[in-house]
Formats: sequence, C-alpha cells, structure tokens
Amino acid sequence: MMIDKQARYLPTHEWVRKGPGKAYTIGLTAYAIEQLGDIVYLELPQVGRELQKGEIFGVIESVKSASDMYIPMGGKVTAVNTEVPDNPDMMKAEPYGKAWLIQTEVSKPAEFDGLMDAAAYEKFFETEAH
Amino acid sequence: MQSNQPKRTPLYEKHCVAHAKIVDFAGWEMPIQYPAGIVQEHLATRKSAGLFDVSHMGRFRISGNQAGAFLDYALTNYAGGLPLGMSHYTILAQDDGGAVDDAWLYRFESDNFILVVNASNKDKDWKHLQSLKARFTSVVLEDLSESLAMVALQGPQSEAILKGLLTGGALPEPKRNATSVASLAGHKVFFGRTGYTGEAVCFEIMVQANKAGALWDILLAKGAAPIGLGARDTLRLEASLPLYGHEMGLDAEGKTMPILACPTARFAVADSEKKEYVGKAAIQCQLAALERYKKGDFSDSSVLPKRIVCLRIVDKGIARQGSPVFFEGRPVGVVTSGTSVPYWKCDEAQKLTEQYDQRSVALAYVDCQLTAGAEVQVEVRGKKLGAKIVKRNLKPGAAVMAVVFE
Repeated sequence: MMIDKQARYLPTHEWVRKGPGKAYTIGLTAYAIEQLGDIVYLELPQVGRELQKGEIFGVIESVKSASDMYIPMGGKVTAVNTEVPDNPDMMKAEPYGKAWLIQTEVSKPAEFDGLMDAAAYEKFFETEAH
Repeated sequence: MQSNQPKRTPLYEKHCVAHAKIVDFAGWEMPIQYPAGIVQEHLATRKSAGLFDVSHMGRFRISGNQAGAFLDYALTNYAGGLPLGMSHYTILAQDDGGAVDDAWLYRFESDNFILVVNASNKDKDWKHLQSLKARFTSVVLEDLSESLAMVALQGPQSEAILKGLLTGGALPEPKRNATSVASLAGHKVFFGRTGYTGEAVCFEIMVQANKAGALWDILLAKGAAPIGLGARDTLRLEASLPLYGHEMGLDAEGKTMPILACPTARFAVADSEKKEYVGKAAIQCQLAALERYKKGDFSDSSVLPKRIVCLRIVDKGIARQGSPVFFEGRPVGVVTSGTSVPYWKCDEAQKLTEQYDQRSVALAYVDCQLTAGAEVQVEVRGKKLGAKIVKRNLKPGAAVMAVVFE
C-alpha cells in the first residue's frame, strides 16, 4: 500500500504534508481510496474558508456511500485542486501526488507533530483491516 | 433452524478465488464487487454479459393438483393463468394491501411452479405461505434454496454465450419471461428470460447446487464478467426496478407502503376479477385510486397518498436513501434509493461508444400528484439540489437503459 513517509495522518485516513512553501497540503490516503472503491463524486471547500482541526472539509462519495473528510490541522483554505472532482479516478493513481485535495495556511503549526506519522498510520490501518 | 452463522452459496469459493470483496448481505457472505469494481462491472453488463450469483435468494417449489389454485390465493398475479413455459412478476400481499415480499414465479411444468423470493424475506415468506397452505389439501411446498443454485447472465452477449453451450433442449422463446428446461454444458438447467438489470437480453439459470461451480467457470471462460451485489444494485436502480425494503415494504416512517405505490407492481397484480387472493380488497381500492389519478382526480388520496417516481438529479451531487424531496418549497417525500450510475455514451445511431460517464439517479416516494416532468429539489447535506421527475424508459433494447435523461 502506497504511503507518504513525509506526511502525517488522521485515523479517518486524511494526510497532511508541509509545503509547497509555507502552505500545508492535504489529501486522502491510498488505503481509504481502496476501501471506498469507485469514487463518483467529490465535494471540496471554497478557497478562503476557515476550518478548525477536525472539522469536515469535504465529502467523498463512492457508488455505495458518502463519507466526510476531516481536516487534520486548523487553518484557512488557500487552494483547492479542482482537477480531482472532474476526474476522481486520478485519486487511485496518485493519492499523495497530483490528487492532493486542498492546501491551507495553518493556524497552529504545532498540531502537525501531534498527528500519526507514516509508521504509526501503517500499523493503524493494518489493525483496522483485520 | 435459524443460526447466526453467515451462510455461503455453492459459489462462495469461486468468489474468493476471483478476489471478490465479500460482505454480509441478509445473513449471506456475498461478493459486493470483484477487482474490476462496481463501475466497470455495471458497464460490462450493459455492453457484453454479466454473471451474477443469485443463489442467496429463496427458491420454493410448489407442486400438486392445487398448486395453481394455492398460488392464485397467495399471490397477487394470476398464477393459474400463467402459461406453461412462462414466468411472471408477482407479490405476496398482506391483507392491508402492503407487501410481504415481491417475487418471481416460474411455471416449468403444469403443476410444478418455482417461486423465487428475496433472501432477506425468505423465512418470513416461507411462514406466510405455510400459513395460507392450510386450506389447500393437495399442495406440496418445498424449499429448494439449498439444493438448487441460481445464477443470472445478463446483457447483449449473454444469448450467444449460452447458445454455444447448449447440449440439449433449447433456450426459451425469444420473448421476455419465457422459460425452458434444457441441458447446458451437460448439466440440466431451468432457464428464464428474466433478470434484475433491465437488460433486454437476460437469463436466469437454475442448476443443481453441486453443478453450479462448473457452470460458473464455463460461463466466465466464455467471456461473461462476474458481477457483485454493488453493480446489481446500480443496474436495477438505473432500470428503476424496485427493491424490497426501499420501494416496497415499510416507508421511512415505518408505515406500510401500498403495493401499487410502486408503478412496477402494476405488472404483478392480476386484472382478472376471477380470483380471490390475500389483500384483494385493499388492492382493489388502490387500483380505483390509480384510475382516478389517471383522470386527474386527486380529491381522495387516502389510499395511495404517495407513489414511487424516478428522479434525475440535475445539479451536481448524489441523492441517497433518506434525502428529503421538496416541491415548490414544501416537503413532498423522501428518496428511497439513489446513487451515481455509469452509462455508455451513444453515438448518433444510438450505438454504444467507448466513452462512459456517470449520472445521478434516484427513486423517491413522493406525493401522488407529482408526475413526470415535475421539477423538484432533493436535500443533500443541507443543500437543495435541482431534480426532475422522469419517465421510466420501457423501450426494449434501447441502448441507454432506463431513466430517460433529456
């Protein structure tokens, strides 16, 4: 299963990574995308929206169900990847690359260190899968 | 008799070997999807042929001199008038005009019927039929669900696949619902030109349970794609076919839905005055209400306050079961099934191309006055999405299935 060693993770399968520049980039993990199956609809926030850590920033829908996505760190949305809702299939191929979802200007950079690192997340989903 | 252990069909091992994702469905360990995924499975069925394990459904054999008379009493359709070699849609009704279940009745021999019922309702149906049987002396009711397996082969290529495998007898007459008994790759099978996908070329095949695995392998080898319950649901929804527990049974408030609230159920109710059957009085009232509605008379909607309609979601977004529906700002009902379904795009000659897209469709239980053409709104996560009530596409063989999209 693909994983980004630089990123940090939520138990709800969102990842956050430092960069580009001062921004933080947020997306959904390969494991979550595999579990969802075919993704048919994605709802992302507007640029400028301010969100507290743990708030819902978007919704991802497979044929079977709709799932909320939670923001790993509080902040203001500075960019939204509008390519992904038009072509959700790209999430399967590049969940940590081209299929990032939003970028933010975080309000509390220290929140990053409180999140699961790649090794902890890997352990977490392996337990969840069994 | 009842155990909480999940049950497995004779094809369970085949699903595992094919790396299906297995889920619990009505107490059965069933494939929800294979590695191709729901979207590709749906598209494969529409363009070539999809193979479904439907052995989890209940199969009852009803035989004996009074088999026809008993079924006439227990079911809404006219079983006694069902010609040999045919099958039809039918309903096990309650006295109040609601449904115990919907089912398919096959007449393979004159006093020998097979009734196929929903897996989730099988035990309830069995008890219901047993209780009604008391007044008939010469009827034998047998549960063949374990000894007889069942698969569905659906889609434009399915007939060619089966023709190449016939070793005796023939496929059913080329008309919908026809049945036949034949030999397929050396195995005795019961064919029906039936299914739950809306496909014009469609077969359901019953075979002895211990032969099901061999037949499954042969059909896959001939080019059929295995299809899980996920695509089975998107296919039936695209074809606007009802699912018990959604469009039939109890509504969102826990109230009985009248059988004829579901337009498809009209095909399951006998026109004939000839027979007495469970639920007849209530169903006659529903039929009378439908007649009034046809003339535009909605002065008395007490019997049939709401009906099932097909929705096309115009705005971006997906309606789901439970999404409230509004008309001119007021609440008029609720979505009973909804998702995004894939479809092949057509060229000018209505031929399927290599391109596909997704569209958001739903079935909803709404005020009886609302009919095709009405513009409504569906609330999803607090947002109101524009939607339109559309006609069900009943054109047999139409390239784009079911929900009319213009």
